[in-house]
Amino acid sequence: MPVVDEKKTTEEEWEPRILAFACNWCTYAGADLAGLNRMKYPANIRLLRVPCSGRVNPQYVLEALQKGCDGVLVCGCHPGDCHYSTGNYYAKRRLMIFKRFLEYVGLEPERFNVKWISASEAGRFRDTVKEFTEGVRKVGPLKESFTLAPSAGDKLFGAHNESEAPASEEGGAA
Amino acid sequence: MSDITTTLRERARALMEDGTIAAFIGWEAGRFERQTTPLICLDAADTDRLIFDEYCVNTTAKYVRDLKQRGRIGVAVRGCDSRAINRMIEDNQFKREDVYLLGIPCPQMNDRKTGTVLNKCQDCAHRNPVTYDELLGEAMEETAPQDRYARAHLVSGLDRIARQNIFNMAFERCIRCYACRDVCPCCTCRTCFVDQRNVGWLGKQDNLSENRFYGMIRAFHISDRCIECGECERACPMDLPLMAINKKLVEDMNTLFGEYESGMTTDNEDALRSFSKTDLEEFE
Ligand code: SF4
Ligand code: SF4
Repeated sequence: MPVVDEKKTTEEEWEPRILAFACNWCTYAGADLAGLNRMKYPANIRLLRVPCSGRVNPQYVLEALQKGCDGVLVCGCHPGDCHYSTGNYYAKRRLMIFKRFLEYVGLEPERFNVKWISASEAGRFRDTVKEFTEGVRKVGPLKESFTLAPSAGDKLFGAHNESEAPASEEGGAA
Repeated sequence: MSDITTTLRERARALMEDGTIAAFIGWEAGRFERQTTPLICLDAADTDRLIFDEYCVNTTAKYVRDLKQRGRIGVAVRGCDSRAINRMIEDNQFKREDVYLLGIPCPQMNDRKTGTVLNKCQDCAHRNPVTYDELLGEAMEETAPQDRYARAHLVSGLDRIARQNIFNMAFERCIRCYACRDVCPCCTCRTCFVDQRNVGWLGKQDNLSENRFYGMIRAFHISDRCIECGECERACPMDLPLMAINKKLVEDMNTLFGEYESGMTTDNEDALRSFSKTDLEEFE
């Protein structure tokens, strides 16, 4: 298997890389409030501001996981509080199905989650990030089997071994 | 079977001659034994080439989209074809009055090579057309499969690593011919997301992540509309277990958001196109 980033895959140095989609009207403000209150939460999270959780196309989630993130979190307003009134209800249905789908094709449940966090819930934001990061840390790096797939060239030159179990299996430690 | 062929030819010819329809979609004998190919009749003489036997494996409804500007289109429909027509009407591809449907109760189709009933036909719960203008032959007794989601249950019972292996190996096999998309009656976008991906760059790499991206997102795009016809899996030259994916999505939506069956009517309330305030809350 090709090892692309030595540092990222060695266990002591590995830090989970997590992408969080945050709704502009609630979670993003909640994160801001957490900052204002000097709350501490893991720096593994990268916030990506979206206008609504309904804007999060499930394909972004898959793309993030396949291009190097170890976990993806989607945060939006509590049902009933959507700035656009219904966006998060659609997002909820979509992501409920998509989460099951990801698990069905073999992803650990810890790697993708959705949380409703309002603009005033700074503490909840902190706790969610902590919990999620711990979950991802526990299952370890999402290695090449998912993120950097072998290409057709690898088949020709024998870089990829089909019989080998996918690497994300033994990512327990760290 | 041959009597269906005869009535089919007669009716198609009559409809073409009296100007009811501008074209007729059916099947004709292929170049090999036990093989058929879709036939589009553009004038009455063509209708003599129509046949119907247990090797008419193609679901032809999607051709209506290519022909609709010619006028009203006649289609020979079995259960799956008729549900595909319903689906496309609901997706605003054409209107019910744009098609004239000759319904055929389906004797189930066979695999050309093995002579056994096709997987998609084994799973079929609607052999009789659900919508038609004329029914040729007697309606069949339906033989619903024991477990609607059997193809998904085969996989969902396995542990995570096994599932990951199955799908990694499957997606690695995919050659991105897009046959599954091209035959699917739900895949009617003029420009598919996958054709817009990194255009001019390395958008169409044949590797596991790109193939998985395509396979999963295509399945997800049509997930709430999938009529479970199994045509994608039949068309796939690389034998990907596509129905294991589609059935899984349909099963989840049925259990979470209420029972439905896409394609039975033209006013199905698609699960991802609607919501209910009483939906299960699992992200609290
Ligand atoms: S079974 Fe396949 S071809 Fe048929 S509607 Fe579903 S995805 Fe499309
Ligand atoms: S038909 Fe099969 S090989 Fe072709 S793109 Fe679809 S899944 Fe891939």
